[in-house]
Amino acid sequence: MPSLRELQSSFFNSIAHVPGGGSANFDPGLVHLVEGRGQLGPQERINIYAQMYYVRLLEVLHEDFPQVATILGCERFDEVVRVYLACHPSTHPSLRYLGRHFAAFLDTRPEVASLPFLSDLARLEWMREEVFDAPDAEPLRLEHLQGLSADEWPDLRFQFIPAFQVLQSDWPVHEIWAAVEEGTLDRGCARLEKTALRVWRDGFAVYHAKMDAIEPVALAGVQAGKPFAAICAALEFIVPSEEAASAMGSLLLRWIADGVLVRLPRK
Amino acid sequence: MAFTVPSLGHGVGLRTKHFPHLWEGTAHVDWFEAISENFMIRGGRPLAALEKAREVAPLVLHGVSLSLGSTDPLNTAYLDDLQTLIRRFEPTWVSDHLCWGSVGGHYAHDLLPLPYTEEALAHVAERVQTIQDRLGRQILIENVSSYLTFSHSQMPEWEFLAEIAERADCGILLDVNNIYVSAANHRFNPEDYINGVPTDRVGQIHLAGHSNMGTYLFDTHDGPVIAPVWELYRLAVRRCGRVSTLIEWDDKIPEFAVLCAEAERARTIEMEELERAYAKSA
Repeated sequence: MPSLRELQSSFFNSIAHVPGGGSANFDPGLVHLVEGRGQLGPQERINIYAQMYYVRLLEVLHEDFPQVATILGCERFDEVVRVYLACHPSTHPSLRYLGRHFAAFLDTRPEVASLPFLSDLARLEWMREEVFDAPDAEPLRLEHLQGLSADEWPDLRFQFIPAFQVLQSDWPVHEIWAAVEEGTLDRGCARLEKTALRVWRDGFAVYHAKMDAIEPVALAGVQAGKPFAAICAALEFIVPSEEAASAMGSLLLRWIADGVLVRLPRK
Repeated sequence: MAFTVPSLGHGVGLRTKHFPHLWEGTAHVDWFEAISENFMIRGGRPLAALEKAREVAPLVLHGVSLSLGSTDPLNTAYLDDLQTLIRRFEPTWVSDHLCWGSVGGHYAHDLLPLPYTEEALAHVAERVQTIQDRLGRQILIENVSSYLTFSHSQMPEWEFLAEIAERADCGILLDVNNIYVSAANHRFNPEDYINGVPTDRVGQIHLAGHSNMGTYLFDTHDGPVIAPVWELYRLAVRRCGRVSTLIEWDDKIPEFAVLCAEAERARTIEMEELERAYAKSA
């Protein structure tokens, strides 16, 4: 008789080595150990588990990457997922993390090479997942700034909430995302265009938006812990110096409205 | 050695579709059961919903990935996450399944069957003890639906379950639907199972729907409890008395009111059986 360890290894390999691959992949030693009472033989019984394994994980990836699944269509998505699961079986107790390698995996797959934007679209979908359950933080609201004196502003240091991420892409993935949502994806969407997106959660809702030319500069300043005055100074390299403060002010209002900054420490 | 948990009444599984009822103040139910892994996250709506649920009614945590029967080392990071959840939400109890789901560091995300051997018995009992020591509390272990059995098993499942509960000094979550499904799939009498379980260790009962696939029954949790399972529930109540009972519904999830109606039906059946037993004894 096999040890419990040997039995479990044999079982897992039988159902997971070739996801959804059927009984040809079952370990004969395992088949020999399974009782075949009633209408089902040993292979049919093992196959119930093999099908459950594949279908459950396929469903999870479909839920995590609905846009990629829509673009590929059921058959191609299923096939890509089969290979993904064979290369990246789950190593975490929670299904939440099953798709963490999917975007990078798509970069390596010749069968989706004709869709070079697909992996970045997957990155956007995964980023939205990560932001959805990122740690909570109290956002900065306009009224929190009302008691500040003019002297305090230059030294203010802002911080982004944990549910905030940035995606850099060579493709306008936000347009592709919207086109898939609306069912209007065409060749025009898939053009090379350097794009920086911010992805965030406000309340329980997840959003993403394209950043304009000054936003990445200001964002880098905030992330580096620079004070407000230093960020305004940095903006003078990309907008006329007399407009830098108002540009930063407008951006700050947008960030506050979107709830992406953490409330300043209370005095 | 003993196992005691309070009777919470008739509860339902906490599912995303019903989160709005928590904020609307319309989630009227005796108690909730939440899937532990769904809340091993850092923030956002699910955790806020669990906070709300905890305010509304007693809460228990039910895991699917503890992999009690696995021969891998215990996943201590998982146990730490579980302990974090326990400390934050103070569940009335914690449960998981009598099965395995991982080997070689890989997770199947399924409730895979064990052979009912002395080797498996010693292994699982020791792991349950280790987990209980680490968590500082007793846990409940649930019988799963299964689609295959192993020819080298040395005892029926209910003896295996009873012996583990005794050796590890843990509780039993008796899933009556799973007994029915496995009994049909492996051709044993489901009443033998219920009659073979040590009643003093049963701390919770699960009820659910399943699907008839023609050649086997499949534990889909996607419909109402069927009549023969209600009958088995009557037997379980007659044997175990008043035990916290929960309706599981995980797919094709109905409106909250439908779920609550199933819980009410369980309450009515329990009351009928307890009254009948009282009348007999009087």
